[in-house]
Amino acid sequence: MTTTTATLVRLKLSLLRNGLRGSKGRRAAYVTTLIVVLLVAALQLLGLIALRGNAHAATLSVILTAVLALGWAVMPLFFPSGDETLDPTRLVMLPLRPQPLVRGLLVASLVGIGPLFTLCLAVGAVISLAHGAAACVTAVLAVALALLTCVALARAVAAANIRLLTSRKGRDLAVLSGLVIAIGAQVVNFGARTLGSSGFGALDPAGDVLSWIPPASAIGAVDAVSHGAYAAGTARLALCAAALAALLHTWQRTLTRLMTSPDGSTLQAAEPTRTKRTSRGPRLLPAGRTGTVMERSLRYVWRDPKTKAAWVTSLAIGLIVPVFNALQGTGSIYFACFAAGMLGIQMYNQFGQDTSAFWMVAMTISSPRDAYVELRGRALALLTITLPYATLVTVVTTAMLGDWRALPEVLGLSFALLGAMLATGAWSSARFPYSIPQEGYKNVAPGQAGLAWISIFGGMVAAALLCAPVIAFTIWLHVSDESSATWLLLPLGTTYGAALTLAGLRLAAPRTATRLPEILTAVSKG
Amino acid sequence: MTEVETGAGTPAVRVQDLWKAFGPSVAVAGIDLTLPAGKFIGLVGPNGAGKTTTLSMVTGLLRPDRGTVEVVGRDVWRDPVEVKSRIGVLPEGLRLFERLSGRELLAYTGRLRGLPGDEVDKRAAQLLDVLDLAGAQHKLVVDYSTGMRKKIGLAAALLHNPEVLFLDEPFEGVDPVSAQTIRGVLERYTRSGATVVFSSHVMELVESLCDWVAVIAAGRIRAQGTLADVRGDAPSLQQAFLELVGANGRDMASDLDWLGGAR
Repeated sequence: MTTTTATLVRLKLSLLRNGLRGSKGRRAAYVTTLIVVLLVAALQLLGLIALRGNAHAATLSVILTAVLALGWAVMPLFFPSGDETLDPTRLVMLPLRPQPLVRGLLVASLVGIGPLFTLCLAVGAVISLAHGAAACVTAVLAVALALLTCVALARAVAAANIRLLTSRKGRDLAVLSGLVIAIGAQVVNFGARTLGSSGFGALDPAGDVLSWIPPASAIGAVDAVSHGAYAAGTARLALCAAALAALLHTWQRTLTRLMTSPDGSTLQAAEPTRTKRTSRGPRLLPAGRTGTVMERSLRYVWRDPKTKAAWVTSLAIGLIVPVFNALQGTGSIYFACFAAGMLGIQMYNQFGQDTSAFWMVAMTISSPRDAYVELRGRALALLTITLPYATLVTVVTTAMLGDWRALPEVLGLSFALLGAMLATGAWSSARFPYSIPQEGYKNVAPGQAGLAWISIFGGMVAAALLCAPVIAFTIWLHVSDESSATWLLLPLGTTYGAALTLAGLRLAAPRTATRLPEILTAVSKG
Repeated sequence: MTEVETGAGTPAVRVQDLWKAFGPSVAVAGIDLTLPAGKFIGLVGPNGAGKTTTLSMVTGLLRPDRGTVEVVGRDVWRDPVEVKSRIGVLPEGLRLFERLSGRELLAYTGRLRGLPGDEVDKRAAQLLDVLDLAGAQHKLVVDYSTGMRKKIGLAAALLHNPEVLFLDEPFEGVDPVSAQTIRGVLERYTRSGATVVFSSHVMELVESLCDWVAVIAAGRIRAQGTLADVRGDAPSLQQAFLELVGANGRDMASDLDWLGGAR
């Protein structure tokens, strides 16, 4: 090992160690992750070994490798801050030549949980496939090549995107990536179900194609050699080696360019300022504080990545749960209330969503009346989205289930629930505010998890309790065979919800006005 | 030195026995301060002296453990309606609504302050012009540089024409051009009879700008009065300050003797 390589490996180890030092929670989290990953890796290894001789072993191993490689390619985009050695700009002041640097960084990248997991998978894959001495030799090469290609892939992708990753837009994007993962999980779930019904045979064509794509082609090579197809095996192995070389070359070139040209922050400042006018649009919003607050809230739904992510999640889940359940035929029309509940959550921790910029609001609130108008403005902004959306979801669910007679009843229930959520949300915004860190994935600052939990969970229970009269009335109507009168629930539920919201705002306003400094302190952490 | 020149009527700020502790550490330990109206006032002190804590409590953003604060003769905590409309604040270490453009931020702040919309837009346009932000008015504040952020924060603080302006480290991290712009606006503003209270640890700046100075160290006021009073016999405010906070006479000639030696 050259000195550069040894130093970089030691740097990586120190970064890992220092990352764990200080915070017990983080150490516990790391150890837990390590144990879980090791367990999964071990099980996977055993599973793959057990597959030895199975007709679909090749397909499965190749696909697993390909999926893992995809993960390696995507990971740095989602977790740019996960590995500080990924950021070459930190090494820019050091007198290093590109080649030893790339070699050193590559070796350093092999330290960590991810590479260990990949190693287990690759080893398992080749054990399940290798038959004969030639195949065993190929297997050793294949494992090394696959592992190195995965790591180099991650590095090359990260280096190529470092501009994006370190810019504001990149960080905004990272916040939204949680959604991509959630949607990806749905797709995987769907895929797994399809597989369950049609068997692994359906995957064979995909496996055939993937066994020619590096780094999965390295695993494919072992399979080919085992079957005596030496030419194909060599070709696949060579393909993987070529890919590795190409990746290293690209990585080195981007590194050199990155380290010898001005960094992102300088470029951004030098950018010509846009002269485009922000369209103000016709002023549909009411004048005065109400309209001003609404306008800002609505702008933030679109422009602030954290707020946007929360909204998109709420909107998506609020639609998916009732509609998917209806699609599968197990749905109940009452699931449509889910949309109202999910969207109502956005009223919680209103001031935390402002971050420490809440001081600008605090400076302009000098009476309970000001606080009331402020909270009402925020509730109204929320309603401009949630009211039509909850209605839409309810109508769609009803249409899918064909139960039009229940529509007014469910709408009434939805509106009552929405009103209760707004009321409890306003109150807990004033009583249990907490910070939402702007960087990274966490939605709660350290030490405030309990507060967040009380705020949201307690609020939801309270909202459900507040809705109890309407729910009880609904049940009574059904039990006592007065189903023809259930339309009454629409006006009743709507009125009840509106009354709850107003009462909640009235209760929350004086509390907000007297607790301004405490709220500001609570939302300024992190 | 703690004697205040009376005559200008009510002082801009009167602080009595102000205390604040964060857990075991006392940030502000019994501050008494009387700042005259119509002056350019500098609050100076080393890092961690309690400047930000004091200014936060004076402006109503942080609740003191004990003590009273009066701004233009009105209690900050008992009479927020009267106080909040009369003061402008530019805090340090707190965000702005960064996902608004500069222009939108001013429009938002002004309307939140209850000013009529047309008036807000007129004043915002002028402030953006004077502060050299007109070219970046449609850019989101999150993409602003430090100097631009301070300038847009200053514009937001001035929008409602306050009687007293509190600025926490308004020149920190600001380039010389922006600093000069900010200075020009502030000087013009105090000439109209308004009061500016700003904190800084750059003595040259305070010396050239202020006519009234309060020195704060370790949570206590070490001196307050006119610039000449506080400076006393010392050749510069910097020297006077170092003596007041007891940081003078630190000699490091014997250490670091290799620095600059044979390579």
